[in-house]
Amino acid sequence: MAAGTTTAGERQRRLELRALLNKKYKWIDRKWDLVFWITAIFVVGGAADITKQLFAGDWDFWTDWKDPQWWPVITAFATIIIPSALQYIQWVAWRFPTGATYTAVCFFMCAWVGRYFQWHVAESYPLSFVWPISIVGAAIILDWILLKTRSFILTSLFGGPIWALLVWAFNYVPLAAYLQPAHFMNHVLTVADVQGIVYIRSQTPEYLRHIERGALRSFLGETQYVSLVFGGTVAVAGYWIGQFIGRYLAVWPIRRYIKTL
Amino acid sequence: MAGSSARKIDAPIEKGGAAHGTERNPTDWMVGWNSLFWGSALVMGANVFLWFWDYKYAFVAGLNSASPEFTLYYRTLFWGELIVLGVFTGIWYGWLVRTGRQLANQPFTRAEEVRRIAVLWSIIGVTSLSIYIEASFWPNWDGAWHQTLVRDTALTPTHIPMFYFFFPLSVVLALGAYLYGMYRIPALYSRDKGFPWSFFLLISAAVLECMEVAFNEWGHSLWVSEEFFSVPFHWPFVAYGWLAAGMFAVWGETILRLFEIEKAEEEASGQPPARAQAIAD
Repeated sequence: MAAGTTTAGERQRRLELRALLNKKYKWIDRKWDLVFWITAIFVVGGAADITKQLFAGDWDFWTDWKDPQWWPVITAFATIIIPSALQYIQWVAWRFPTGATYTAVCFFMCAWVGRYFQWHVAESYPLSFVWPISIVGAAIILDWILLKTRSFILTSLFGGPIWALLVWAFNYVPLAAYLQPAHFMNHVLTVADVQGIVYIRSQTPEYLRHIERGALRSFLGETQYVSLVFGGTVAVAGYWIGQFIGRYLAVWPIRRYIKTL
Repeated sequence: MAGSSARKIDAPIEKGGAAHGTERNPTDWMVGWNSLFWGSALVMGANVFLWFWDYKYAFVAGLNSASPEFTLYYRTLFWGELIVLGVFTGIWYGWLVRTGRQLANQPFTRAEEVRRIAVLWSIIGVTSLSIYIEASFWPNWDGAWHQTLVRDTALTPTHIPMFYFFFPLSVVLALGAYLYGMYRIPALYSRDKGFPWSFFLLISAAVLECMEVAFNEWGHSLWVSEEFFSVPFHWPFVAYGWLAAGMFAVWGETILRLFEIEKAEEEASGQPPARAQAIAD
């Protein structure tokens, strides 16, 4: 009986939602949706790109900076922040599990426009040296985790480590070719190292790149994986920074006023 | 509630208004959204001009700040940008305040309020575009330029368009959007309600960004003249992208206002309000 009542209630609610979906308003039309989703591309893509650039940009600008120690850690942290914020906004506003993917696509477009016009056309660096990473694949999985768990806490706990793993994995595929050994001036280097030597960056501090601390090297071949685990840990923290942005800088201020002014 | 006032009046100060007697839908592309297209075109036009300027002159005139070429092509550009921006700001703000004061105490129709919200969204949309240009488009060239070439001035070829045009432009646009709302959308932004947190965050983001420019130049002159993008004194730039989330609050509160207007319109025409509007209220 209870089940029947629930079913009837659900049916009624479904009818209400359908009526709501098809309701004709006098002024609220699809143009508002179009303007919102298109104009938001710029602020979302810009925010995601500046966050990535200023926390992890150097590791993303060049193939020879994508090292096994720092790249998997700080990239995971820097790139999850804005997707998390948008995930909160879109989930709260529309129950859309699409915020991270939307951000990733905006970021992808902004990053590629920047790399192509500024690094490649204006500064003549080959795109094979300066291509940007993509977070689209990881973002789809992060949204899927939210869809299935319906919990930001679980999404952060599972999604953070998975984000770190997938951002590295998806971007390791195009990078792998540049990690092949090359014989250059009587030394065995990677192809990426050769790129870094050939394309002189006179204002990039060399000492920050070539002199590596030995600590993680003691883990031998496990370095990459140790970094990924730590990257997953800091990605959880990055996820909650994004949640703070979504909750308190985007949604909380709606119709709130500073009364003293 | 200002929007519940259904009197139809003439509003000769602003063209395109539904209250102007034209009977045009306030949300038609060339009515309420007109400002979005013109504003975006102007900002993109300025961006394309500055990009081609740097593409043509950066390597031939922008490497030595003591050279006469630099003075001709870059110091002139710097001052030209500030003058253009200053004149534009003076004219636009002057118009917003002068006409806003005249409109402030006049009743307006619901259609007119909808049009004004569309115009506000248009200004916000242009602000979003400006934010992208300053936070992604130009920082890419800034990174490529400063990691490659020696800097001998704060007014480098990539800084001049980015720091001294698009950074202040975002302040001008964000503050202009608030001025527009304060005088023309009183149900949300009249002065007696207090200062909205949404605009406080958005404007403070843009202002903080300009202040961070000062810190950035000081840091580069003191600690690192080279370019290391992830250096800690760059991190405050990120705050801009985060605080700009206030833009979503502006969108959110105006969407809720639109539902209120629709509800008032339905009640006035005798239709029962939809459940969605009850939820929105």
